[in-house]
Amino acid sequence: MIFLDLELKDSPGELLKALQPISSAGANIFSVIHMRENKTQDGRVPVKVVIEKLNDNLLNSIVENLEKLDVIVAKINEKMKKTNLEVVVVGHIVDTDVLDTIDRINEFGVVVDLDLTMPDPVAESSARMRITIDNEKLNELYDEFDKIAKEKGLLFIKSC
Amino acid sequence: MKIILVGFGIIGKGVLKTITLKSEHLKNRYGMDLQVAAICDRSGAAIDENGLDLELALKVKEETGKIADYPEKGCEMGILEVIESVNADAIVEVSPTNIETGEPAKSYMLKAFETKKHVVSANKGPLAVSFKELVKCAEENKVCFRYEASVGGAMPIINLAKETLAGNDIKVIKGILNGTTNYILTKMEKEQLDFDMVLKEAQELGIAETNPHQDISGLDTAAKIVILANSIFGRDVTIKDVELEGITRITPEALAMANKSGHTIKLIGEVTDEKLIVCPKLVPIDSPLNVKGSLNVAMVSTDLANDIVVVGTGAGDIETASAILSDLVNIHQTMKN
Repeated sequence: MIFLDLELKDSPGELLKALQPISSAGANIFSVIHMRENKTQDGRVPVKVVIEKLNDNLLNSIVENLEKLDVIVAKINEKMKKTNLEVVVVGHIVDTDVLDTIDRINEFGVVVDLDLTMPDPVAESSARMRITIDNEKLNELYDEFDKIAKEKGLLFIKSC
Repeated sequence: MKIILVGFGIIGKGVLKTITLKSEHLKNRYGMDLQVAAICDRSGAAIDENGLDLELALKVKEETGKIADYPEKGCEMGILEVIESVNADAIVEVSPTNIETGEPAKSYMLKAFETKKHVVSANKGPLAVSFKELVKCAEENKVCFRYEASVGGAMPIINLAKETLAGNDIKVIKGILNGTTNYILTKMEKEQLDFDMVLKEAQELGIAETNPHQDISGLDTAAKIVILANSIFGRDVTIKDVELEGITRITPEALAMANKSGHTIKLIGEVTDEKLIVCPKLVPIDSPLNVKGSLNVAMVSTDLANDIVVVGTGAGDIETASAILSDLVNIHQTMKN
């Protein structure tokens, strides 16, 4: 058996949408536990799905299709696959080409939320970014943060 | 047990007040008759190997600012000479900290070891600069060297990790080790004030020093991280090995952004076998590391006991004297056995 921990957007029809790539691949679904009361920090609904054992190719293709539907595959067989990373950034975020900053972060993960405040046109601004990223790529992303910080004079405040 | 008090500033005075306050307790509980044979400051010393009158010493210091003015037993003898010539079991070293060279405190400690005196210190400078040299000198002279008060004031962290958690493999120690930065960030978050304004207020209240550079740049935390790395992780590192970022760039908006995702921002020092980092970090609001005001906190992550968290007052005369007293009691017990 394979245990999948998924995180779905909290809107009608998302569960059905998430089960589609699994059933389309012909995989037997043994159980689905919808945990509405345990929402994630970004308001997603965790769902545990148990399916029959599959070969790696088929499983990878299901995961790929789930991610295309904006379903986060947080864990496979209790192994953390994706993580939601919170970062606060301080500096001249817009003036130093915020699009370029996001593009460079997106090479390692995906910036799924950006909240920016500019209290004064001259003063440094502050932003909050939520990034969904494969756990294996976390250190590479941190290295990229360091490079961007040096180049653009930004301060990345990471999680403890 | 006879001691020499080296340094008679705020902490030194706190040590004398604590000894006076706890004199009976120490006798009854540990059979420890703690006497101060000499007190040194920049002006000179007061020496009486039969034990100085501590209340008188405090009065003289308060009135004249000079321990050399102590009636009859005051003199202008230098500190190194006092350590060398006065008969005592230990020195309590609480002179001003210099985190660049560790001097002159380092020389006081080496002189104490060479003259077979135990050392209890609250002085992070020499420990951050010359830890291995000091430990080696203490070992060669077969005397104790204890420094619990140098990291986190009253909060037990070094002795907790080395003694209480003996047998555990300590993987990470991280926490808030500077009360001033914690006070500033807490106040900025609560009242949405900017950094400069809160710093100014903290200086007026005496929470931040007139020259707060070491605190706000993270250097003070870095020195403590180095002490933890050397004493608990057995490393041989200095402040230059610490990846360092202070809190001067933190804005009230950045704190508000952190709050939106259920976090706050704290200046966190972290030490492992591989890294030494001091920088602002996002701390979950419900984390035990989210302590407010000028409190200090440390989380010790171990293989057997899992995570242990200690919270305490990181500074203050009596609080720091508490850690010094516990080191003195430990040395007394060791001598007895």
